Amino acid sequence: MFTSTSNRWRAPLVAAVFTTVALAAAGCSSSGSTGVPTAASSGSSDALYKDAIVAKAADILPGSTMAAIKKRGKLIVAEALDAPLLSQQDPSNPDSVTGFDADLAKLLAIYILGKPNVEIVPPASETREALLANGTVDVVFNTYTITTQRAAQVDFAGPYFESGLAVAVKSDNTDIKSIDDLGGKTVIVGANTPAVTTVPEKQPTAKIVSFGTDPEAVLALTQGRGDAYVQDQTLLASDALTNKAMKVVGQPFTKEAYGIGLKLGDSDFKKFINNWLVKIQKNGTWGKVWKASLGTVVQSDIPTPPAIGSVPGS
Amino acid sequence: MNVLIDHLGDVLGALGTTLVMFLIAGVGSIVIGVLVTVARVSPIPLLRWVAFAYVQFFINVPLLALLVLAVFALPDAGIIAPLEPTAIVVLAVYEAAYVAEAVRSGVNTVAVGQLEAARALGFNQLQSLRLIVVPQALRAVVQPIGNVMIALVMNTALAAAVGVVELTSEVNKVNLIEAQPIAIFAGAGVIYMAIALVIGLAAGWVERRVAIVR
Repeated sequence: MFTSTSNRWRAPLVAAVFTTVALAAAGCSSSGSTGVPTAASSGSSDALYKDAIVAKAADILPGSTMAAIKKRGKLIVAEALDAPLLSQQDPSNPDSVTGFDADLAKLLAIYILGKPNVEIVPPASETREALLANGTVDVVFNTYTITTQRAAQVDFAGPYFESGLAVAVKSDNTDIKSIDDLGGKTVIVGANTPAVTTVPEKQPTAKIVSFGTDPEAVLALTQGRGDAYVQDQTLLASDALTNKAMKVVGQPFTKEAYGIGLKLGDSDFKKFINNWLVKIQKNGTWGKVWKASLGTVVQSDIPTPPAIGSVPGS
Repeated sequence: MNVLIDHLGDVLGALGTTLVMFLIAGVGSIVIGVLVTVARVSPIPLLRWVAFAYVQFFINVPLLALLVLAVFALPDAGIIAPLEPTAIVVLAVYEAAYVAEAVRSGVNTVAVGQLEAARALGFNQLQSLRLIVVPQALRAVVQPIGNVMIALVMNTALAAAVGVVELTSEVNKVNLIEAQPIAIFAGAGVIYMAIALVIGLAAGWVERRVAIVR
């Protein structure tokens, strides 16, 4: 009964299917492993890589994780591809991944290998511990907040950066000035961010709505699905810079210490990376990386890097 | 599993949300799906065409795309609904397309002779659809509809991406605190498996009860 009709409609149908497939393919390009060759690194950070420090041969202990990485010739890093300022893949040049985490990962690769040979495995926040435990990745650079629960599953080098959660509201909102004004309000948070657990601790009466990605959360805020959006201060600052419909209010109300996730119990590797962190902090490389990434949206001097091992779990 | 038991209250609450979403969207999708099938086999060309377009649209657009559109694009058109009802409606209209395809295959099992007999006995079109075709078609496709319902339960997990706190979203949160992905997601998988098993067994039981012995 339908053979004749279905023929007539086949052409537009095929077009529709193709559009959907194209959309899906575009969405998927951020997943899967991406080898990031040296040549493609972006212009602003090239100078950083040129005079980056390299570990002395004596530091690469025989039989250690460092030696295995050196033998393999590339550092396998779990890092995001969709985190602006931290680890963002350039959509027009997929080989270029830049940001604070991404640049540090490349500098670590130089420290071990002498060249920024990084293979990126995009992690989901929910799989980072598993990726480390089963040896899929060497290190995790993924705004990985150090907590004691996590420290029971993985080792943390660092902390290498300290940030905090802040509150953003719609530009025309004058009632909410800080976390203290969020009681009984609907608060948008990013799924799998520290805000999911921190906001209920600070404001038990707030209603939490979580969205998968930062752009979704921003859209939800500006469309009025919540009264406020609680997220990392730096990320909010960069959102507010490009989106005039929202603003950041007050100062950060928590301290999140980000660590470099390592396989549990690899104390040589942890010591090795902590030494590297101290070195790049001392010679000013850390500050330059910050200035080139997060520093572009925050109007302040280069912050003091956190002391290694200064938080429980590191 | 131990980790999930530590957070039992929250996990059970979220499981409740998943089940509520499944029940409402499930009933809704069966009702819409049957109506779409009726339109699809009706003698009115416009209705047939609309039903065909409906099924093709929802089968060919990914559910996640539909959810994101409903949650983030509708507010721009001035329609802003709470998240959970939005997700339930999207799930219902989406799965209805699959129910419709299952029921249509059931319609094809009803012999043409039956319709001719109905006409000979003076049934009009609506009567023969309602009293002869649809009841027999549904009896023939209990198990396929059961499979669509299992798929529906699995698809409720996608609602986590648009802010609905159902089972997947909740175990994500638990994992964020406890950092034990394998134990936690294996536990969640077992819960989904148990739900699917119950639906599958229920479908089998219903099928045996209503089967037409020819």
